[in-house]
Amino acid sequence: MSTIELSHVSRWYGNVVAINDITMTIGAGVTGLLGPNGAGKSTLLHMIAGFLAPSRGELTVAGAASWHNPGIYRVVGLVPERDSVYSFLTGAAFVRATAQLHRLPDPEVATRRAIGIVEMADAQDRRISTYSKGMRQRIKVAAALVHDPPVLLLDEPFNGMDPRQRLHMMDLLHRLGEQGRTILFSSHILEEVERLSGTIQVIVAGRLAASGDFRAIRRLMTSRPHVFMVRTSDDRRLGASLIGRPAVTGVELTGRGLQVRASDYGAFSRELAVLARDQGIRLRELLPADESLESVFAYLVET
Amino acid sequence: MTVRPPGWDAGPVSDSRVIETAVGEPGVTGTSVIETQALAKRYPRGVTALDGLTVAFAPGITGLIGANGAGKSTLIKILLGLIPPTSGRASVLGRDAAASAERIRTLTGYMPEHDCLPPDVTGTEFVTHLGRMSGLPATAAKERAAESLRHVGLHEERYRLIGTYSTGMKQRVKLAQALVGDPRLLLLDEPTTGLDPAGRRAMLDLIARIGGEFGISIVVSSHLLGEVERICDHVVALERGGLLRADTMTSFTRVSQVLAVEVDEGMQELAAELTRRGLVSRPDERALLVRLEGDATYDLIRDVIAELGLPLNRLEQRRRRVEELFRDDQAASDDRAPGGAA
Amino acid sequence: MSGEMAAQGGVIHDLGYQHYDGPRLGRAAIIRALQWHSLRSAYGIGRGVRAKIVPILTFVIMCLPAVANAISAARGGGRIVPYDTYLFRLRGLVMVIFVAAQAPELVSRDLRSHVLPLYFCRPMRRLDYPLAKLAAFTVACLALIEIPLLLLYLGTIVSAGGGTAVWNQTKALIPGLLIGALWAVLFAAIGLALASLTGRRAYATGAIAIYFFLSWSLASILIGVTGGRPGPGPSPLASRLAGLVSPPTVLEGVRQWLGGTSVSPVPRPGSVGVLYGVMFLVLLGASLGGLAARYRKAGVS
Repeated sequence: MSTIELSHVSRWYGNVVAINDITMTIGAGVTGLLGPNGAGKSTLLHMIAGFLAPSRGELTVAGAASWHNPGIYRVVGLVPERDSVYSFLTGAAFVRATAQLHRLPDPEVATRRAIGIVEMADAQDRRISTYSKGMRQRIKVAAALVHDPPVLLLDEPFNGMDPRQRLHMMDLLHRLGEQGRTILFSSHILEEVERLSGTIQVIVAGRLAASGDFRAIRRLMTSRPHVFMVRTSDDRRLGASLIGRPAVTGVELTGRGLQVRASDYGAFSRELAVLARDQGIRLRELLPADESLESVFAYLVET
Repeated sequence: MTVRPPGWDAGPVSDSRVIETAVGEPGVTGTSVIETQALAKRYPRGVTALDGLTVAFAPGITGLIGANGAGKSTLIKILLGLIPPTSGRASVLGRDAAASAERIRTLTGYMPEHDCLPPDVTGTEFVTHLGRMSGLPATAAKERAAESLRHVGLHEERYRLIGTYSTGMKQRVKLAQALVGDPRLLLLDEPTTGLDPAGRRAMLDLIARIGGEFGISIVVSSHLLGEVERICDHVVALERGGLLRADTMTSFTRVSQVLAVEVDEGMQELAAELTRRGLVSRPDERALLVRLEGDATYDLIRDVIAELGLPLNRLEQRRRRVEELFRDDQAASDDRAPGGAA
Repeated sequence: MSGEMAAQGGVIHDLGYQHYDGPRLGRAAIIRALQWHSLRSAYGIGRGVRAKIVPILTFVIMCLPAVANAISAARGGGRIVPYDTYLFRLRGLVMVIFVAAQAPELVSRDLRSHVLPLYFCRPMRRLDYPLAKLAAFTVACLALIEIPLLLLYLGTIVSAGGGTAVWNQTKALIPGLLIGALWAVLFAAIGLALASLTGRRAYATGAIAIYFFLSWSLASILIGVTGGRPGPGPSPLASRLAGLVSPPTVLEGVRQWLGGTSVSPVPRPGSVGVLYGVMFLVLLGASLGGLAARYRKAGVS
């Protein structure tokens, strides 16, 4: 399978430890790689792509090590963050050159297909120097897809893209993920990571801080009470009954409604509707205030 | 609404000329911070950056959105007097952009998108120097530079060379130099570029504070619609050099008649029971969308969940989102309630 | 009484955003501030020790003839260095080095860091920027040329005797100062125009140095090859025209056309003297035009 496996991988430059003992498995579908600036996301992606050797540990892609293994490039496509295209080439020429470098049996067909996937057919015969940032990103993706790799690595793929291009790119990655490819992408835009991938890997200061579905990660943070905003027909009365429940550690009446802190998420979520019904209070809105990827991420980075 | 502190300079020249805003509501000239009429910018070789744009920007925080090449940067540059328009008119804070460009530039601050900081001066020196370039006398420039840097949250770092700054600090310096001349209007181009999530949140909070507490109108050009929704009062969307839509944020994100219910387990049970009680619903990923037929709907949902003992995670009225403007497919419209037309 | 009460009650001051109600200075003041800022850059002031090396070194070297002259005058030898040429080759060399090293500091740095939009979105006009830079750099070059001349003058009159001697020195100094000003103006303009072509300081320095040295060498070679002779005697036409090829030799030609009598490697232009004047204006005009064109288009990205 096209799984990426890391086992106790570290990478250092002299005294600087960029990646510190990371063990993780990335399977099919779309996985988001998150972390503050300088946490090591680019280093990790480059190691997986075979451009950097791990200083320690084992890193395999689809069962084979990626370092010093040119064969890995048949399996992996990398879309780096830096502008790594020859601006004097046309889009089609660039993708075709990549296809030829891969020694594909039919580079022309592969090129056309890849360009079709990223919807750059109209602009393919223009020089890349005339492309906008979003178009450059897409042509880089086409070049990374031209050999139809089961593993696709993208470093900040949404950089510089306008809203429509973002939506298209998200749809594209979603489709590719559904096809069974293993897609790992790094991004700072958490709203989009949230929508695109349920699975995330969070890197903080070179270490793996958390992995998996972010909602599940949030539920694991039991030492932090869950925070909810509730709007009802009688916030005060509901607040009074809620504070009587052991699952609830705090209620606060704010301008936007009743803020509730629940130490026992499971109990609270089952009790709320019951309490409201028994008191004859209408529930208009219940919003988890800190279950978004952004909150989860903030908690992970804090510690 | 922005509150102007007392002693504030007299507002823009008011006359009774009325200009149509894009949504057809007439607005008085005096209350718009920016207005354009048939503004166009054409380059040789047939490239049209702006094609007869007519729009008014209200005071407060406005998000300027649009595809790459839609004309956002061109508009900002014309408003700042950096490039001349081919035809049409623009006015900023009541002054004509062509006739009073210099006056406008005393009243506006600009935070460009690209890297524009020299690496070998300190933050303080840089902002002070630009304060003098804005026309402040030497002492005032120093003082205002110190204040601006404090407001954007740069403390001891300001005495270090800019080349040693992180991306977040550099963005803050860019914002500080835009504020140093005490502008009445700020033009921010992609202010959160390159910032990590914590940095983005800090920058957005800062911008919201400036627009709210400082009484400065702001135009934020951004690709990130989530952040636009979070801090902007109004939205102006451009497309291919012209206006796509201009409206208040509440109008863009108005609620629909659809309730989204999320339970951690038992969604199918819930749907079945609701159907039995006469409520139509359809699933949408983790949520169950239920058509809102009145207040009774809320109570019914509450009761069913209580009876079934399901863990309720979320209950909210679905809102439209700004990004729907850019969705090509109609199916994305959340307003399409289950079981029929909205 | 109320003061005491205030002290007991405590006061919280408003540290919120303060608007600015003070004076706003106009374009002239802004240009002056930019000039001053640029002048400081030209001498590396406020920019660490390394930035001051070239300015200080060139200044010291430029002053050496004045010092030597003062010593010689004190020993009764009179003035050995002319006011109008001031050791032509030394001055030329030092000026090329200074301009090549410092012009990029004024303009290339801003181009490299893409800071120009931040200037142009402020209440100044497009051409105010190169104008301020040019004014500042001209003053910087003026200082480098005229101060040694003044030192030369002072060193001489200190040992001179009597009012007539001082008056004679003064009469000789004035034209020297004028020629020096022409040098400053032309070198500054060409240096800035060349430096404004690139944001990379090394390239700018290289371009300026190469232009001056190459053209100067070419002029010298042509003068030699066509039989030019320094001194009051006539030289062949070709050799009298050869000096038009490089800025330092053009300045020498202008000096002699305007009546300067000191001997120099550039032969007396004689009848074609006016061409040197024209060439001076052409070089100056081209540099100014180049600067204007460059900054009209720059700084919008």
